[in-house]
Amino acid sequence: MQADVGLTRMVHEVSELDLGERTSYDAGRLTVGEDTVRDLLQDGAFAEVRLGVASPGDSVRIVGVLDAIQPCSKGPGGGGAFPGLLGPAMPVGRGETHVLRGAAVLAAGYLPRAQEAVIDMSGPAAPLSPLAATHNLVVEWTPAEDASWEDVDQALRRGLVKVAAHLAEAALDAEPDAVEELADPATSAANGKPRVGVILNLQTQGTFKDVFVYGRSLSGGLPTVISPTELDDGAVVSGQFGHPSLKNPTYLHQTHPVVAALRERSDELELAALVLCPEPVDQANKELVSAHAARLCKQLKLDAAIATKEGGGNADADVSLKMDRLEEEGIAAVGILAEMAGRDGTGPPLVVPPTKATALVSTGNYDERMTLPVVERALGRPSIALLDDQASTDEVVLPVAAVYCAQSTLGWGRLTCAEVLA
Amino acid sequence: MKIVHYVNQFFAGMGGEDSAGTGPELRDGATGPGRKLASLLGDEHEIIATAVCGDDYAASHPEFAAELVARAKERGAEMIVAGPSFTSGRYGMACARIAAAASEADLPALASMHPDNPGIGEAAGTTVVESGLTARQMKDSLERFAAAALKIASGEELTARDGRIGPVARTNRFAADNAAQRAVALVLTRLGGDRDATEIPLPDFDSVTPAAPIADAGEALFALVTEGGFVPFGNPDRLESARATKWVRHSLDGLDSADEGAFMSVHGGFSTVWANADPNRILPLDVAREMEREGAIGRLHGEYLGTTGNGTTVADARRFGMEWAADLRQQGIQAAILTAT
Repeated sequence: MQADVGLTRMVHEVSELDLGERTSYDAGRLTVGEDTVRDLLQDGAFAEVRLGVASPGDSVRIVGVLDAIQPCSKGPGGGGAFPGLLGPAMPVGRGETHVLRGAAVLAAGYLPRAQEAVIDMSGPAAPLSPLAATHNLVVEWTPAEDASWEDVDQALRRGLVKVAAHLAEAALDAEPDAVEELADPATSAANGKPRVGVILNLQTQGTFKDVFVYGRSLSGGLPTVISPTELDDGAVVSGQFGHPSLKNPTYLHQTHPVVAALRERSDELELAALVLCPEPVDQANKELVSAHAARLCKQLKLDAAIATKEGGGNADADVSLKMDRLEEEGIAAVGILAEMAGRDGTGPPLVVPPTKATALVSTGNYDERMTLPVVERALGRPSIALLDDQASTDEVVLPVAAVYCAQSTLGWGRLTCAEVLA
Repeated sequence: MKIVHYVNQFFAGMGGEDSAGTGPELRDGATGPGRKLASLLGDEHEIIATAVCGDDYAASHPEFAAELVARAKERGAEMIVAGPSFTSGRYGMACARIAAAASEADLPALASMHPDNPGIGEAAGTTVVESGLTARQMKDSLERFAAAALKIASGEELTARDGRIGPVARTNRFAADNAAQRAVALVLTRLGGDRDATEIPLPDFDSVTPAAPIADAGEALFALVTEGGFVPFGNPDRLESARATKWVRHSLDGLDSADEGAFMSVHGGFSTVWANADPNRILPLDVAREMEREGAIGRLHGEYLGTTGNGTTVADARRFGMEWAADLRQQGIQAAILTAT
């Protein structure tokens, strides 16, 4: 048994992606074996599955983006990655994991309750989405006539993780571009640095608005503590398709930016814990979960915690209540929130602000409009329902709210707000 | 300069809430606080007319502003001033709309209100000067209003030093680091003892005093209103499923129940399957009719008002609320049941 157990991440950079006869990875070039991938996606819920490619700088708009996943494998057949969906539902986060950095597998198309999310691979909206900087395999589909939307949703989720593991498997024997040692806080020795936790609120609003931990929803439960390295292995998979700009897709859980930023500053701070919390829909349970999460942080002897959310205005409360309870427990609280200040930016920025805590980071104003130029081709959906079915390739005016992950409070982006007199 | 001054029904001496439904009109000369304002403006300027509108009417008919501005222009107005409206919400909104409509029509314009007046949210694109909290501060408020009006009349820009207030806009920018890195930096700042550092100043929400309970529900006229995205089947008005910018009204006359296929929900924040299977779950028309028959409530109003509360901006929600309240009051409604989803 190793004394200091953690995860070793073997990073394979992807700089080119194309479709071909068989899946292979060689010196940054990822070829996707079309027939194999189509087989992996095969499901009674689909009449047809189509594969497309979108790379950074392409004149492509992807409309109706659902989930996005970073290719990741721990061995043949996934080797236990994406536990509960692909691998067995048993704790992960140790051993070796191969990832294809710079690549992603996306699903794009219609599902009910899925608010239309847009990614532009070039132009002014490209810097607003992390998936505009990756080489993307885009999965489109036609549902089978007798399939329910719930069946389609599940088939997509199962299919995407299979494809993500399959693609990473092509690099299992390749020399990695980088080898990263990621510590597991549970086995790290105390070092006297301030202990900082990450509070990850996961949306729990039922089908099409749920997030899966080891394949299960946290709905109805209490907060739980896992190792950040379990995120790296795909223990958290998103099935949440509301609020495009506020979305936290599987890709951002796997590459959790706050976890990464704390690892970057490990000379000054210790990444001490990751607390997963459901986001109940009623106030009493929001209060219970928040108070419970703060108690857990106290037990973990944290000095500070950073809280994030998923979803719209009501989820502000899940961050604000936790910040207030943390401060009451003597734990410094920092929240990352998106602003909903209206089209001209003059409205109150938060729906539910904290009352005792004040330290907030902004991921920008949700309601501000932007103009996206004409593009050569579109994937996902041919028209944008939000704009009365305007063609997806047209010049369109959309709120930042529609741009996929533009304001994700997991904090990958540089968007924020500045004040000017209106 | 020829100036038209806007006041509400109360300051025009027409009465209080009972006259709040009065439509727009233009009267000759200065009225109410306009008389004192006229003397403060001096001999070079003249208040040629007073524009008046009831607060409820103004809140529920936004077009009143353009109409009054057009009539003022015909009358020869070279500038329009509105208020002071202190912290009165509907009056403040009306003043902001008048000033915004005047600015739109290329007339110099100025509104006066307290910074906490919710109407300030409607004042983008025009100029507002600070007033006191209540009419008890009328004298000081009018002096500041007149000084600001004189400055604008002379073609100068009003500044914060003159008491200019207005909505501060928060606009999107790129920071040097990503949000996660900034959050970690903020943890270090916070652990270093700085308790004030933040990127988002905490908003101040106004608190609303609830109306007094109705004395006898069995005698009262009730309305059903909802933010559940409740629309006639097919959504003829194309009400938005999220970030609504409008609200709709539809008749409930002759209906005993909100039946499947007659109504539906377009709300984007929850699964509408169960709402659509029985739309009474969003707008409880079936139970309301039962209660009406039993005499538990006096009578049900013949139409509902509705919007979608999903990512709606506070400014829009506040505007809908003021418009709904004004509209319902004009119809004599004493109680409203707002189903929230």
